[in-house]
Amino acid sequence: MSDDSGGAAGEGSALAVLDDALREQFTWYVVAKKEFQDTVRSKGLWVLWLVFTVLFVTPALLVITGFIELSRQGQELGTELLITDLPGANYLNFVTVFLPLIAMFVGYAALTKERESGSLKVLLSLPFSRRDVIVGKVIGRCAVVATTLAGAFAFTALLLVSSNITFNAELYGLFVLFTMGLALVMVAIAVSISGAVQSGKWSLLANFFVYFYFTFVWNSLANGLGNLLNNRLGLGGPLRWQLTLFVKLLSPTQSYKTLVDSMVIPSDNGQRLARLEMFGRNADRGMICGDVLRGNFTTIQVQGFGNQTIPRQVCQAGQQSVPVYFSDPAVFVYLVAWIGLAAAISYYTFDRVDL
Amino acid sequence: MPAIELDGVTKRFGDVEALRGVDMEVREGEIFGFLGPNGAGKTTTIDVLLDFVRPTEGSATVLGHDAHEESRAIRERTGVLPEGFDVYGRLTGRQHVEFVSEAKGADADPDAVCERVGLDPEDFDRKASGYSKGMKQRLVLGMALVGEPDLLILDEPSTGLDPNGARRMREIVREERERGATVFFSSHILGQVESVCDRVAILQDGEVVAIDTVEGLREAAGTETVLTVNLAESVEGVVAAAEGVDGVESARLSGATVIVRCSDDVKMDVLTAIEDAGGNVENFDTDEASLDELFAAYTEDEE
Repeated sequence: MSDDSGGAAGEGSALAVLDDALREQFTWYVVAKKEFQDTVRSKGLWVLWLVFTVLFVTPALLVITGFIELSRQGQELGTELLITDLPGANYLNFVTVFLPLIAMFVGYAALTKERESGSLKVLLSLPFSRRDVIVGKVIGRCAVVATTLAGAFAFTALLLVSSNITFNAELYGLFVLFTMGLALVMVAIAVSISGAVQSGKWSLLANFFVYFYFTFVWNSLANGLGNLLNNRLGLGGPLRWQLTLFVKLLSPTQSYKTLVDSMVIPSDNGQRLARLEMFGRNADRGMICGDVLRGNFTTIQVQGFGNQTIPRQVCQAGQQSVPVYFSDPAVFVYLVAWIGLAAAISYYTFDRVDL
Repeated sequence: MPAIELDGVTKRFGDVEALRGVDMEVREGEIFGFLGPNGAGKTTTIDVLLDFVRPTEGSATVLGHDAHEESRAIRERTGVLPEGFDVYGRLTGRQHVEFVSEAKGADADPDAVCERVGLDPEDFDRKASGYSKGMKQRLVLGMALVGEPDLLILDEPSTGLDPNGARRMREIVREERERGATVFFSSHILGQVESVCDRVAILQDGEVVAIDTVEGLREAAGTETVLTVNLAESVEGVVAAAEGVDGVESARLSGATVIVRCSDDVKMDVLTAIEDAGGNVENFDTDEASLDELFAAYTEDEE
């Protein structure tokens, strides 16, 4: 670091103090730092930034260029509505499918590559425990992805601010937070898998399996579990739906989606509606709304064609708020808890093997 | 306290028995050569010392710490040049040394390390992906020296080094011993071990077949000097005269040349005896049994 100007020198020494403090405090810190230094020098990182930027800037660009027309209401509510209300395609689904894939690609070789090349021997001949190596690798790679994502989001934000679409900083901030959460969870899972298997080939396979499972299978499995509880154990009623919802929320992609959903539903009832949205047509929506999410499930009359009114069942805010364990903060905790869980499983495996 | 102590270490990988009850003790402050052909189990032994691999049976103690339970404490005081390693291609040599320095909480001067192992300062600030095998070897040797470790474990340290590099490596090994460090290094090339090691162990098929000083091994193997004496002309009785000297194992005449197998310290006695018997010695040549022959003697016995 250069200490040319007074300002830079102050900053440099503050960084140095932080650097020392982290090194004193955490035994994994040096591994994470090396991992970051090593990975940020990769040319692939620019490709990654570009992919992220394209991913997040596209809806805004489509609107700005007039390719897609946004309603006045949408324009006023802010760009983030683009995420869910973009006509023609479900953009959120697109992000949920692609972001984990990219994140896993960044992490899947983190340890297997070192194992295969032999640099792991250099790393582990230094006074690091295997836990330090796993934790340092997870945090180092996460830091790389977080930095890259931050770059992409900053670019997107700049574009939005300079456009005629209302920029809602709070909503955008939440979207960034949740999206970062999902990306980092998937990187952590990928790095962890790479620590738990013997070769890059196996890591790729296992990562793809986990990705596929979370993205496309988990939800049906959660529903299936609910049916099983009901049919085999006679466990109907609210408990069935509570368990089903809980299992659904344990999937990182599911929890991410419902977090973003509740964020863009502009009402106090947003969390409840977003959780309810996780269920399909076969679910007992009344029971889920009332008993599980403590809402008020009622029938209202909505304006149909002409003077006709049609009855419609809706879930409205009730006396009580959504139970804490199904609220947004809890769901966010479930999401990021995967980082620790994945690393713990990985360490358990990695610690037992011969290198 | 011994620097390294292996007690009945056995390691099986599936059906393959890589180590079979290895007992070995490396004393503090010595240069210990660990010899054996490729595949004998040298690297597995080192892997056990560093907790890369856990023994199936037996125990390993390094610097007084259990190799598995207290591995970190061991690696804090140990410098390692592993076998089959690679460096971080996107980091420079300097960054590698700084990384090790941070990891060990040492305050090493990267430039001094660079000079000591004979890396070009320009290369030192280049990315390591462009390094040759020998440069990587020098770099990782330098990394092993960071923080003045009490123990150096060098697995085939001469791999990829040119003769100059190998000489520099041996100098460093001696310097480190002078400083008080214990050096444990493995090799399948005996010439490299012969000149620097205080003691040597020979590993064959996962078993220690010999452990001694180089001289001790030489005696134990029963090999000796071969003395070739060229006479001006063939003379009767020189063979009998040579055989009469204490310490001579055999002597034979081939034309005007006498070939005597004897222990090293009786060479002059043999020459005198030949001259006394009427032999006119034009010149002579001694051929000391090399460790290679010694090594071959050991390993062939095993087969």
